[in-house]
Amino acid sequence: VSFLRRSKFEEGGMMEVSASNNVSLREFGCEQNLLSRPDGSASFVQGDTSVMAGVYGPAEVKVSKEIYDRATLEVLLQPKVGPAGVREQSQEQCVRETCEAALLLSLHPRSSLTLILQVLHDDGSLLSCCLNAACMALMDAGLSMSCLFCGVTCAIGADGDIIADPTAAQEKESRALMTFAIDSTERRVMMSSTKGSFSVQELQECVAVSQKASEKVFQFYRDSVRRRYSKNL
Amino acid sequence: MPTDTKRVRGPDVSQSPVLLGYKPAAVLASRGPREDGRQRDQVDVRPVFVRCGLVSQAKGSAYIEAGNTKLISCVYGPRETDRKDETDMKSGRLTTDVRFAPFSCPERVPWIQGSQDKDLSLMLHESLQPAVCLQRYPRSQIDVSVMVLENSGSALAHAVTCASLALADAGIEMYDLVLGCSLQQVGSSYVVDPSYLEENGWRCNSSESRGGLTVAFLPSLNQISGLQSDGEMSEETLTAGVRTCIEGCYKLYPVIQKVLTKAVRRAAPPST
Amino acid sequence: MAAGFKTAEPLEYHRSFLKENCRPDGRELSEFRSTTLNIGSISTADGSALVKLGNTTIICGIKAELTNPTVDAPGKGYIVPNVDLPPLCSSRFRPGPPGEQAQAASQFIADIIESSEVIKKEDLCIGRGKLCWVLYCDIMCLDYDGNILDACVVALLAALKTTQLPEVTINKETSAPEVNFEKKHKLNIHRHPVSVSFCIFDDSILIVDPTAEEESLSTARLTVVMDEEDQLCSLHKPGGTPLSGEKLQECIKRATARKGEIHKLIEKVIKSMKTAQ
Repeated sequence: VSFLRRSKFEEGGMMEVSASNNVSLREFGCEQNLLSRPDGSASFVQGDTSVMAGVYGPAEVKVSKEIYDRATLEVLLQPKVGPAGVREQSQEQCVRETCEAALLLSLHPRSSLTLILQVLHDDGSLLSCCLNAACMALMDAGLSMSCLFCGVTCAIGADGDIIADPTAAQEKESRALMTFAIDSTERRVMMSSTKGSFSVQELQECVAVSQKASEKVFQFYRDSVRRRYSKNL
Repeated sequence: MPTDTKRVRGPDVSQSPVLLGYKPAAVLASRGPREDGRQRDQVDVRPVFVRCGLVSQAKGSAYIEAGNTKLISCVYGPRETDRKDETDMKSGRLTTDVRFAPFSCPERVPWIQGSQDKDLSLMLHESLQPAVCLQRYPRSQIDVSVMVLENSGSALAHAVTCASLALADAGIEMYDLVLGCSLQQVGSSYVVDPSYLEENGWRCNSSESRGGLTVAFLPSLNQISGLQSDGEMSEETLTAGVRTCIEGCYKLYPVIQKVLTKAVRRAAPPST
Repeated sequence: MAAGFKTAEPLEYHRSFLKENCRPDGRELSEFRSTTLNIGSISTADGSALVKLGNTTIICGIKAELTNPTVDAPGKGYIVPNVDLPPLCSSRFRPGPPGEQAQAASQFIADIIESSEVIKKEDLCIGRGKLCWVLYCDIMCLDYDGNILDACVVALLAALKTTQLPEVTINKETSAPEVNFEKKHKLNIHRHPVSVSFCIFDDSILIVDPTAEEESLSTARLTVVMDEEDQLCSLHKPGGTPLSGEKLQECIKRATARKGEIHKLIEKVIKSMKTAQ
């Protein structure tokens, strides 16, 4: 992880998301195109949570997985330690179906896309970090998308207050935990995965907080891509 | 130990409470009437409840209930074969899969099962194959799967009957139905269509020679397609046992025929 | 002619029905298929239930075993749910280890048990740090015609409600567990979650209780799980096309109505079982 940190500081890649509008997120960091083998790659850091993503494709597809009118997307989620289990598989499904909705897969019929997510460190809001890393990697791979998406995790504390982008400790203390994927065009919910029980009111508040937070994340996307290309020119 | 990463995992070891409780009269009487009131030394099979075509997704399906033994069987295909390399192009391939539901036996059956279900799958395959006109289905595959929902003895015998009924329901061309019947020999006497306790209880007190026998029988051709026996049996008792099992199959035959005609009528009502 | 149209252009076929606010099987958009429940049909299980939702058939069997609690949670037992989609239930599944869909369903059920606290894990503890129950909740699909999650939750809840565990005491002298099969007691069910699934067609049309065909043609799926106190236990939407707030509200409203129906059904079936005995 250290080389990641270093390069980010050199570039001044870390940027703080300000805590206005009562939604505060941790420090975000992102670097694209840092791996040479994949067609697109990105690392995404939210506080101490860090995920690396790589995209391969469009490439040849196995006959058994071929879909005649669109590309086949596969998502692999590797935990920090140990083999992937049932939980990872279910998160893979969430990431895959979100990506499938955003990507214009019909542009690449009968081909394969593979997205690999490697968890480098988990300090809460892991699924949202995975989604953000996936989106940046897909962008880096130059794949056509109908919209961008970002992941936001909200925790409802024991006293009912909503914390956006919680740390692992905050997650543990929380009564309920929700992760949403928000699309960039209309700020609607693409993916939702929740834990714990909550009222309808609380759900709506969390969706609103996530939508607000998504603006910041998308602004961060824009800034980090702009910075990258301004350097290259 | 390889861990199962594709399922929700529980504790590494756990014990069924049955093993800790007192034994409920484990000694099985080898004389007198049987526990469920059936007659010993007679072809006294349990009454069966049979239905065809319960599973909407399958080409053909059958459900059989004999006493507390409950099985469901589905047939898919004929469809393109998975393994193109090793198939005989002139005839089709029959695959069988027998599985026990985790809650089907008094003790929980783990998801990853040992050799038992593989053995049963193989025996089912051997029993069914001679009855299916596989040469009619070149380059294709017919999948038969059987799920044992509750095992109260004679699972293999009923699996054979159930699977052949599902094949017939699927409209797969066959020479004949295949019926299964099993028998448990206890010393000089025998029990037909044994229950789970009668099948497995003999492990406790092995004073007498015991053995089990399952016969798969083609009733209208009067041929045996599968025979499986374990334990200790003399040649005489074995041949007598086979004859008894055949008799048991004939008892089952009219019931199965009736169910099948009913299913066919429902699928294609006679034009008036 | 209609059959040919259905096979050649399944999406157009469905659209032509949805345009008229109905579905190929004659249902309205917010109508469930008929739900039937059968409990206690498996005598080898400690609790069991068979649910039919239209053609979809799910069976759930509960087996309780004894084990040691973990060091981290000495006062808690285990609940181990697994969903299996065997090749028997549909031609889309192949033999072998569970695929992505089965695993995602297992995780979904595990999350619901965790989130709703159907059963408190503390209730499964017999001797703190020494002995506890592990409840294996094995859910199996026998006929796959869409919307297995809703059927799984009903089957699980009904099976848990009928589960009876023998009394276990720890002998003070030998510290060995003793099981008394004469004395059986029911599990304490704290909450009754009910799941309601939807599909989104063409990014906008919402239909409830989708069949297998509707599921595969839709652009997104959504499952809402709600308990008797109108608390949500899960809002599961594994991706797909985005959903607006109003549509979400619609889903929650439908779930509120559905949960009452399911609670009534379970109560009715359990009652009829008692009178039959």
